[in-house]
Amino acid sequence: MTLADIRIALPLLILAIGALLTLICGAVTRKQTIATTIAVLAAVGAGLAAMTAPAVLVAPSLGLSASGLTRLFIVCFALMSAAVLVLSSGYNVYRDIRGEEYPATILFATFGMVALACATNLLIIFLGLEAMTFGFYILVAIDREQRVSSEAGLKYLLLGAVSAAFLAFGIALLYCVAGTLGISEVMQRTLAGTPNPVALAGWACLLIGIAFKLSLVPAHLWTPDVYEAAPAPVVAFLSGASKAAAVLLLLLLLPQAGDLAILRVPLFALALFSMVVGNLAALRQNRVRRMLAYSSIAQMGYVALALLSHKGGGFQAAAFYAIAYGIMSLAAFGAIGILERNGCGANLDDYRGRGFSHPLAAGVLAIALFSLAGIPPTIGFTGKFLIFASAIRAGEIALAILGILTAAVSVYYYLRVVTALYLQRSEHEERERLGVFETAVLGLSSVLIILLGLFPSPLLDFLRTQLP
Amino acid sequence: MEQTLFYIMATVIVIATIFAISEKHPVHAIVYLVTSFFALAVVFYLLAAPLIAMFEVIIYAGAVMVLFMFVIMMLDQGSPEDAERPPLMHYLPALVLTGITLVSLVLLLTNRSPVAAAAVAPRLVSVKEFAITLFNQYGVAIEIISMQLLFAIVGVLYLGRRRKP
Repeated sequence: MTLADIRIALPLLILAIGALLTLICGAVTRKQTIATTIAVLAAVGAGLAAMTAPAVLVAPSLGLSASGLTRLFIVCFALMSAAVLVLSSGYNVYRDIRGEEYPATILFATFGMVALACATNLLIIFLGLEAMTFGFYILVAIDREQRVSSEAGLKYLLLGAVSAAFLAFGIALLYCVAGTLGISEVMQRTLAGTPNPVALAGWACLLIGIAFKLSLVPAHLWTPDVYEAAPAPVVAFLSGASKAAAVLLLLLLLPQAGDLAILRVPLFALALFSMVVGNLAALRQNRVRRMLAYSSIAQMGYVALALLSHKGGGFQAAAFYAIAYGIMSLAAFGAIGILERNGCGANLDDYRGRGFSHPLAAGVLAIALFSLAGIPPTIGFTGKFLIFASAIRAGEIALAILGILTAAVSVYYYLRVVTALYLQRSEHEERERLGVFETAVLGLSSVLIILLGLFPSPLLDFLRTQLP
Repeated sequence: MEQTLFYIMATVIVIATIFAISEKHPVHAIVYLVTSFFALAVVFYLLAAPLIAMFEVIIYAGAVMVLFMFVIMMLDQGSPEDAERPPLMHYLPALVLTGITLVSLVLLLTNRSPVAAAAVAPRLVSVKEFAITLFNQYGVAIEIISMQLLFAIVGVLYLGRRRKP
């Protein structure tokens, strides 16, 4: 192991050691603040370490990748987990979630995402993805006082175990065809030329497994329950970071293949059903979190559309949208968490008039919803524009038109919440209670939503150098 | 003969696993799972991987199953005094499947012609080679798995803690 190896593995090491330190210090001091502080420092440190890592593509003897795309996503994951930790510190007091296990598990889930980002073979991809999901199994069910929370956790665990089995079986079948686990060899040997039936079966299993992680339509049933029952910061992390990680998985695999004609039909179906079912089901929801859950299904449908239209620059659009969706979920669920902490219920009616009693949280929520609806000048608009432009360039006209239509439909249910926040008066008179750090995180994410929407070119130029 | 044995073992594995899934009594399900693992070990042996076959028996059929048994014991369902010797029909399938596995294993070990063995197994991987590949090429994977196991314990301890009355 050389110094370069250690430098490249440094984010992973910091996260692993940080998680262990959080567990130990939390157990010794029994203070929530110390555990959270250590965890935030470790997450930020991992992000900084990824930024300053040397510019080599692969760690010489560890087989970890350190390409630009990898590092960009590591920084995103690390900062997102730091933000989630900050948001949870207040929220967990309200939900009475105690113990150092919570911050340690957040760090562990981040560790899994970073491992996935660094992967150069399918084994590490699988282990990273499962480490991340493993963390979420714990985090979703972490509120032990509520029955719904355990129920959602169990649902997520059972479906997650099935999807893990599909992923493992798919990887085994691909290994059977390619004779190696290295990503580029597998991609070249399983997708090129006339399709081998075993390779096709392997890809089918792999796509089913990933569809679960992305909550694309045939595998989306867990989403509404988990989004409704889990703590709000956990939902922000699950929705933002874990889905970005699943998109990153596909972005690590697919560009390595010369020809993706085999995957066109399954991706087409996933994109089509997710966009239609997600958006139409969201229309009928009266609970805000459930509505956002169905909307996230639809949003991931757009990402599937972007991956499908890779010939028109869809990979860049997918990477951009994954990051954009991460920031939007962080802002939306961070704000929802603060509103809930201030006594807001789950139904749309409970959000009535919150724009006047809780101006900051409601404002951030409104910005996030505008962005999710794709209204300029937000990052959501830029991302959707890139996706539909690449779809039209790649010749997927039918899906692009359908996507634009469903996006137009989605404006209705997003703006319904904004209307409730601002246009209806209510009798809430209590003051907004907010910590300094929470305000900073929410403010930063809403600034990013607008700033990256107005000036997307630095990020896009970087993605253009990294992806075909 | 290797090919015939493989198909017999594959059938045994599938039947035993179906029984393991469909059996209502947890202990019976475990017995079928062990049967399936033993047959799987023979398949690994046929594939010229005696080391994996040993692991299959020691770790899966041995350690993991004992763990399952402990969990079922701790769950404390029903009282053991009521237990009687089950009728023959209940354990006959497991007995037959295990019998087939054992006979196949004995056949395989005694009846191994050197020519056929060479054709099936071009080269046996030694423990040393296996370990070097595992800890060099897949060292990172081992570390990730160790973190997963740690957090499995953390999660179980946290979620399994008794709720406040």
